[in-house]
Amino acid sequence: MSSRHARLHASAGLVCALVVLASPVALRADHLAEIRARGVLRWGADAEGGAPYVYPDPQHLDRFIGFEYELAEALARKLGVKATLVQNQWDQLVPALDRGNFDLILNGLELTPENQQRIAMSRPYYVYTQQIVTRRDTVGLSTVEDFGSQPVGVLSGSVAERLLTQRSAVVWKSYPGNVETFQDLKVGRLEAVLVDLPIALHYAKPDPSLKLSGAPFAMGYYAIGLLKQDTTLRDAVNSAIEQLIRDGSLERIYRKYGIWDERQQLLKDYQPPAVTEGKPKVTFAERLCYLPLLVKAAGTTAELSLLSMALAVVVGLVLVLVRLYGVGPLSWLAKAYVEVIRGTPLLIQLFLIYYGLPEIGIRLNAFCAAVLGLGLNYAASEAENYRAGIQSIPHGQTEAALALGMNRWQTLRQVVLPQAARVVIPPVTNDFIAMFKDTSIVSVITMVELTKQYGMLAASNSDYIVVGLMTAGIYFALSYPASIFANWLECKLAYDSRRQPA
Amino acid sequence: MILVDNLHKSYGPLHVLRGISHRQQPGEAVVLIGPSGCGKSTFLRCLNQLESIDSGRITVDGITIQGGPSAQAPEQREQRRQLRLRAGMVFQSFNLFPHLTVLQNICVAPMVVKGASPEQAEKRAVELLAKVGLQDKATAYPSQLSGGQQQRVAIARALAMDPKVMLFDEPTSALDPELRDEVLGVMRQLAEEGLTMLVVTHEMQFARDIADQVLFFEAGRVAESGPPDQIFSYPQQARTREFLSRVQTR
Repeated sequence: MSSRHARLHASAGLVCALVVLASPVALRADHLAEIRARGVLRWGADAEGGAPYVYPDPQHLDRFIGFEYELAEALARKLGVKATLVQNQWDQLVPALDRGNFDLILNGLELTPENQQRIAMSRPYYVYTQQIVTRRDTVGLSTVEDFGSQPVGVLSGSVAERLLTQRSAVVWKSYPGNVETFQDLKVGRLEAVLVDLPIALHYAKPDPSLKLSGAPFAMGYYAIGLLKQDTTLRDAVNSAIEQLIRDGSLERIYRKYGIWDERQQLLKDYQPPAVTEGKPKVTFAERLCYLPLLVKAAGTTAELSLLSMALAVVVGLVLVLVRLYGVGPLSWLAKAYVEVIRGTPLLIQLFLIYYGLPEIGIRLNAFCAAVLGLGLNYAASEAENYRAGIQSIPHGQTEAALALGMNRWQTLRQVVLPQAARVVIPPVTNDFIAMFKDTSIVSVITMVELTKQYGMLAASNSDYIVVGLMTAGIYFALSYPASIFANWLECKLAYDSRRQPA
Repeated sequence: MILVDNLHKSYGPLHVLRGISHRQQPGEAVVLIGPSGCGKSTFLRCLNQLESIDSGRITVDGITIQGGPSAQAPEQREQRRQLRLRAGMVFQSFNLFPHLTVLQNICVAPMVVKGASPEQAEKRAVELLAKVGLQDKATAYPSQLSGGQQQRVAIARALAMDPKVMLFDEPTSALDPELRDEVLGVMRQLAEEGLTMLVVTHEMQFARDIADQVLFFEAGRVAESGPPDQIFSYPQQARTREFLSRVQTR
């Protein structure tokens, strides 16, 4: 694993201690006894797109399968309890363990110095390697050196992501799940995907349009993550794993999922390396290194919000005019658009635009898809703001304009809209600030904006509080001027509060 | 100038205008009186087509609107606008544009509708403001004016379009008594200058002074009409007498 991260991350010693102290698990004298008393082992994993580790059974979608699911069942049996899966986003498993959401992590967690400093790790249960996957017709691209500047997809927070972070030349995009990664490879947004071998074996090997390219490399171990103070639980888990290795249960499970290979023999004689205790402090200067990354991401966030809002403001105006003044079916369509967009989650709209549209031949890059998704979503909301504003203007204003011989458009343009504009400034500003924060959602379509950058920095350095405060500070520094500007605009345009000597 | 023939108007089951006919020559000032809800304001609003008509016919300065099912058709829209260009309207609640200054309120329609240059429009607006006695308020906003001042600006705004006829819909009803006279004074002056006017009002003395013709409305019909001396001094109908005795002793 990267020494850079090892150096950086320890830092928040006090922070970690506080988190641990604050969590309920810290007070447990004997976690193992508690699990046995409860009769249930709660294990944390991400089953969303989690094949072949743990995933919903395609035949019975209410049940789970996967080699780790079966391993968890076997492990629990050895401990004399039942296993219960606690669903948790993969790149947030360690913080969730700290919070006490579950007893242990069993989900492709790599045995790395970083992880070993943050939590305790069991003896390994699987030997993994990295595997490059490409489209079948791709020539070359069989080693990391071949990537050049071609776009490579990785799973957010994975070993592959960290591997590529160290190679500044490689253009990598990180994804929330494996399904999306391979889909973007197939539609050509990516030239290669770098993943752990089991993922490649499950998703890419059976797919005729994809191939495993080059030999596996960068070997490592998966191990179970536990809280450091749970020594009895760790001992019990270690001995259970050893039994599962010795009695062949592990091999049986792995063969069932097609992921057994000769490298797994290494598990039998695994000797834990000496863990270096004592975390190096992250200095103030090192934290300053986060800043350029955060500021760059903030630029993306600002750019996204401004463009999306510009789109929303314009499309919203068209929508409301068509709705209020358009002929029958058009007006109905505008109303339907507003209702449908308002009544469905932004997340699903983004998925449809980014991952759905390529299925019918429309392939947008992540930035365009994000602007389109946010803009079209907020357009519905702006249309409603405008409608409220327009309808708040007394009918007498329209009548006065018509009586002066103005046509409908002139009435709207000269009399209704200028007055409505003043009414809608506060709600539109409010939406702009809300959208500014909502941009964080576009990380699901591989955009690295401020929140995503925060997540990556904080997770890899285990520095949630300091990086979090820095990030929040940047958000505030960007959104507060927007509020001030809106207040100023509102005052400037307010005609009834204007006083001048008569 | 104004020719109305057998005008009918209903709001759902409510039959508001039940066959109004009216003829008015250029330069005539006509005052409409009658109890609340008798249809006087609706008649005025029909005249400049803020309300559609069910049947009958309205002609103002050669522009004719025929009532009936086709009256709301889009091609009638331009015809209605042409009619409104000839009939200026002053509302009970002024309806000045609050986001524009007094000068802009007066200039906006000539510039937007008639394509007047800003200089032309402004020159005319200043003249009209002088006429209504508000030349020093050009840069004020409506919210800075008293009700009487606002109504005078509204009159100037309507006059700026050079209408053939001015319709006044209870122009002083929303005003305190001490502010009414300044508005009535402007209207008197306009009547004396020979402007064709149609006024709905409860100001009986004013009606008596300026009207060439008074129409007494009752229940959607013109119950009685004639010169003011006749209507006010020798009303023929019992209902007219009853109405006048009520409003005059009030």
